Amino acid sequence: MRFRHSVFKDEAKLDINYIPEHLPHREKEHRLLTEFFNFILNFPEKMTQRVIVTGEIGTGKTALCQRFGANMTIEANKHGVNFRYIHVNCREYRGKLSLILQHAVNVLMPNFPKRGFSAEEILGTLLQNLDEENTHLILALDEFDVLIENEGADAVYNLTRLQEMRSGKPQRLSFIFIMRDLSVTKRLDDSARSTLQRNIIRLEKYGKDQLVDILNERVQLAFEPATIPEDVVSFAADIAQNESGNARFAIELLWRAGKYADAEDQRVVTPDCLRKAVSSIIPTLQKNEIESLNFHEKLFLLAAAEVFKDKEKAYATLMEIEKAYAVACEEFEEQPNSHTMLWKYVQMFSALGILKTEISGTAQRGRSTLIYLPAVSAEELTQTLRASLQRGRK
Amino acid sequence: MEIEEVFSSKLRVKILKLIYRLGELNVSDIARRIGINFAIANQHLNLLEQEGIVQQRVYGRIRMYRFNQASTKAKAIQDFIEAWEQANKTQTTQLKEKNL
Repeated sequence: MRFRHSVFKDEAKLDINYIPEHLPHREKEHRLLTEFFNFILNFPEKMTQRVIVTGEIGTGKTALCQRFGANMTIEANKHGVNFRYIHVNCREYRGKLSLILQHAVNVLMPNFPKRGFSAEEILGTLLQNLDEENTHLILALDEFDVLIENEGADAVYNLTRLQEMRSGKPQRLSFIFIMRDLSVTKRLDDSARSTLQRNIIRLEKYGKDQLVDILNERVQLAFEPATIPEDVVSFAADIAQNESGNARFAIELLWRAGKYADAEDQRVVTPDCLRKAVSSIIPTLQKNEIESLNFHEKLFLLAAAEVFKDKEKAYATLMEIEKAYAVACEEFEEQPNSHTMLWKYVQMFSALGILKTEISGTAQRGRSTLIYLPAVSAEELTQTLRASLQRGRK
Repeated sequence: MEIEEVFSSKLRVKILKLIYRLGELNVSDIARRIGINFAIANQHLNLLEQEGIVQQRVYGRIRMYRFNQASTKAKAIQDFIEAWEQANKTQTTQLKEKNL
């Protein structure tokens, strides 16, 4: 096997299960979570807590809770407190409370039999074990909405009022409920909802600058130095922001783009690697969409694709594309359309999602519109358009 | 109970080795892993429990056995198994090197 150079230093740092030491732009929420559970360090047997963490996909709910869990475990050790944090994804266990609790028991007692215990039986076992080991547990139930949908109000009510059924005994079990959509809690009755919804931490969608910070931190950990240009990071952040500020998606894009760079034996991840990564995840452009364009629309798109194919940059101005369009018109012996018409093409392709536009930041003199090709490989697009234009000319 | 009585049964030694390796197990699991029936496993575990070497924790229908952390005999047996397994490993490595 031939030795290949890789753009990756440690690609595991881009894995969905990797929890970074530091979560950019979630410091406030981490502090809040720590405040809610701070009692564990001082009087772990005196109270329990229930917190809801909510936010859209890729807003860092799971990462925040797992980072908090890891940090809390370290702090509890320092304070000599027996503490465990267990994170369970409810969807993985089909939203069945008995299976979710069975998983928690097996984390504490790996050889405990995995038989068909009822939720009550296994909850009893869990609490007994916590009592015997004098331990406080935070059970984080990820995708909690799946549990609500599957088990309904009673199970949730019993979980939230657990300690009341053990009056006089030390308090052992706290919860973090993680869910995308709070509206699912409407299915619960008033009493369950009121005990659940006292402490809510909402994670807002990431903005572009925040996504850039997140990606830059990961790039440092996962990629060799100077293999990811700034433009590519900004480009990935733009695409992810359009996908509702999904940081996980942005990180996955970078990983895929790195894979394309490695496959093509490139030393740097180019914008086209990123476009290939996007088109592998979201097939945005169908062949029949190209065929339905008129000759000049195809020429304009070809010009844009040529600009992005040649450029190492991810963004271009309309003027740059206009120049390439003039060359394309000359090649196909056509009279170029006016600037106003080309601007209309940009708007049309933007509406179709083939091209995207962004107003340039303050770093550039004045404010101009930057155009980028978000989801299709410029190389592949050039080939498809050339073939289509040749057929059109015949 | 004298030491020879504890170690006189091959099954008892197997049970102790299993608990040493896996930490905490219920009776059915111990019986299944060793390939003996439940009653015999139970009988040996009872004897080891009476001697204070293992202890059981009952969770509803389930009885989990582990070494009794407070027992010096349990500690001595765990140390002995550890030393024995380590000696076996060293011996195997030496034999492999010799054959090379």
